[in-house]
Amino acid sequence: MEPDEPGTSGVATKIMPLAFPKGKEKYCELCQREAYIQCSECQVTFYCNADHQQADWVGIHERICQMLVPIRAMKDIYDPSVRKKNQLRKRHLIKICTLVAQSKLSEGKGEEALPAAHCCLQTSIDLYGPNTIQLVPAYILLAEANMGLGNLAVVAELLSQAEWAVLKNPELGASIQQQLHRSLGQFYTTTGNLETALFHFANDIYFACEEYGLDSSATTKGYFLIADVFARQGKTLIVHSLYSEVAERWHKHLSSLLETHQKHADSSVDSSVSFYEKSQRVEMEEMLRVMLEFEQKQSRRDVNHIALIAHNLAMLWFVSGDLHKAQDFASTALQASMQIPKHKLTEPIQELLQQVESLQTEPQPGFA
Amino acid sequence: MIRIVSAKILTRLYYLCTSRMKQVETFRNRKVSDSSILSRKEIAMFRNTPKQYMCVEMLQDGYHRSFSELFILLRSDLEQRANAPPKSPRLQEPPLEEQREKLETIRLHLSRAEKAERDGSWTAVCEERLHLGRYFTDPMDIWLSFHFYHSCADRVFGGRSKAATEARFHLAELYRQQGDLVEARDQAERALKQAEDGGWLDPEGRPLRLWGCRELGEIYSLLGEAYLAAKQYDTATMLLQLGSKMAIEGGDQSVKAESFFREGMGLQSSGDHQAAKELFNTCVELFGSLQDVKGLVKSYKAIAKSLQSEGNIEECIETLEKSADLCQSSDLQERLADISLTLGCIYSDVNRPLKSCEYFLQSYKAACTAREVLLQHKAQVKLGYTCAHSLIKTHISEMKTPSLSSVNQLVDWKETRGHQNFC
Repeated sequence: MEPDEPGTSGVATKIMPLAFPKGKEKYCELCQREAYIQCSECQVTFYCNADHQQADWVGIHERICQMLVPIRAMKDIYDPSVRKKNQLRKRHLIKICTLVAQSKLSEGKGEEALPAAHCCLQTSIDLYGPNTIQLVPAYILLAEANMGLGNLAVVAELLSQAEWAVLKNPELGASIQQQLHRSLGQFYTTTGNLETALFHFANDIYFACEEYGLDSSATTKGYFLIADVFARQGKTLIVHSLYSEVAERWHKHLSSLLETHQKHADSSVDSSVSFYEKSQRVEMEEMLRVMLEFEQKQSRRDVNHIALIAHNLAMLWFVSGDLHKAQDFASTALQASMQIPKHKLTEPIQELLQQVESLQTEPQPGFA
Repeated sequence: MIRIVSAKILTRLYYLCTSRMKQVETFRNRKVSDSSILSRKEIAMFRNTPKQYMCVEMLQDGYHRSFSELFILLRSDLEQRANAPPKSPRLQEPPLEEQREKLETIRLHLSRAEKAERDGSWTAVCEERLHLGRYFTDPMDIWLSFHFYHSCADRVFGGRSKAATEARFHLAELYRQQGDLVEARDQAERALKQAEDGGWLDPEGRPLRLWGCRELGEIYSLLGEAYLAAKQYDTATMLLQLGSKMAIEGGDQSVKAESFFREGMGLQSSGDHQAAKELFNTCVELFGSLQDVKGLVKSYKAIAKSLQSEGNIEECIETLEKSADLCQSSDLQERLADISLTLGCIYSDVNRPLKSCEYFLQSYKAACTAREVLLQHKAQVKLGYTCAHSLIKTHISEMKTPSLSSVNQLVDWKETRGHQNFC
């Protein structure tokens, strides 16, 4: 995403009090304080200052500006057909906000995810009413956004709300419970309550298995997170065992991804980026990097394991088109695998390296 | 009791839930003594399903491989139940994920095994898995036994340890009981080889390899019997001899006797009655010293059959009567019915219908007591047939001649004979 220039980030004008019915105060979209300016595009969102307007524009408003117009303009109309239409719009809005917030979160932009998560919660409350179970995903989303920013008190409150709602409705699906436990686990990890964090991550993995299966990427992510807690406790053996499990699963996954990628490359279709959503890729790269660092720091290095992780990283970068990094990691992997005679990974790594080199020397015919 | 506990839990849960929102209020309510405060773990134990509780426990302790294994086992349990025909015994039991005790045992030992594996002590891993295999004795849980024994015996590291060898013996035993003799033989032979190499002792201080000998003896004999039924006499004889040899080596008297008996049966069906009789006599001695009446009866019957085939009817009858007495004295009604039936047949063959009827009647009565319907029917028919034959024997000439006078004689006889007891 290219950085937003100040000039292109929406236009704000001062609120003209006479243009609105009297007695209805306008509040800031982000902080709920009294508002003085409004978005000149939609004219239904208000802000206390230009900073908040700017933040909202970058976070979410740019995407939903025009969507908000019918929703907010027809708020007070009681015609059933209009209401129904509006409800559909709100549902759509929630979906967009959730997706935007999630992708920003996984890219590590907590600050930018905040407005989207806020909008999601507000719209959810508007649609379903306060204290309903439908709010749980929105609570979790907002809590995650705040977690990245270190607002732990807010996180605690939001997660308690979510936990209470789930506790009241135990028949709720496994996926929502999984999300809640993951957020709780992350929260307790940050606060340093590692035992409780373990409890929640364990539940997270259990529900992920129930919902998505033992080999799913959600479960694998859970393994990675719980390994981090064990690492903080200094239980290196467990961490090692968990990381090798994670690395093996991803190796399987990435190998098949590489295969399909090569097939497509043969038929000269340029689809290198669309294979993996950017956010997912960033997340995966981050995890693999952490695992590699952990292994390289160990006093007794497991070369086998290092080769596996480095090969993973090389494949990941190759698929996403960064040949330089792919080459780097592939040579790391090769070095590691050469230390063990007849290692099963040596051959595929060499193949990958050759491919990378041939693509680098060619004047890049397939890549625009 | 349960109600009190659950009420306690509910109140505690309520406190826990509201605590975060109304911290001041909980503080005031907190007059309960510390011992009654449930930990997060205790709450999970009562609130969640046993499956979730166990899985979470394992993951929390970092045993993720055990978790995956248990999770896969539970899945396959549900699948097997879904594919089971309705009213099958499998469905009478609750699914594995609801049996807390079994889950707890699996959790405990798998976790220990995983810990040992991390530390690299392969023998301990095998021991834990062997223990789990032995734990599941219920016929419905055989598949779990198979899983754990296999996971123990087929390991790359530690697959040649004592525990793994024992697991392989158990596997041979299970396969034999399931009727898969070829697989059983394969497992037992491999286990015996490992046991010979290892030179271990069993808990009673005997060499472990003897177990393999006993097991193999039985398997060879059973295989021999199967070949016998398929009329492949050469292979059968070879296997049966092998079985006896193994059984002698194994040193277990009853297995030895059984193998001898099977070998004798093999010889008998190939027509070598002299050798068969010798073996059967050894059986009689062995069973006699074991005080195994069933075995004795079985051996006597086999001897009698050989005698009968040789034409030595006198001795044959003598042997059978001895065994019938044995049955009567130790109240083996079913065997008695069988032996008496054989005796009845032999007597009717040598043309002694009265004696024959007597034994058929005894057989019928014994079969009734033992509720052996098939034997009962057989005895009934034989008895009727023999009685009828002995009855019409004196008038057979009249029946054969087609004249009015003979018919008249027959009618006369019919009207005057009344209801005599012919037997």
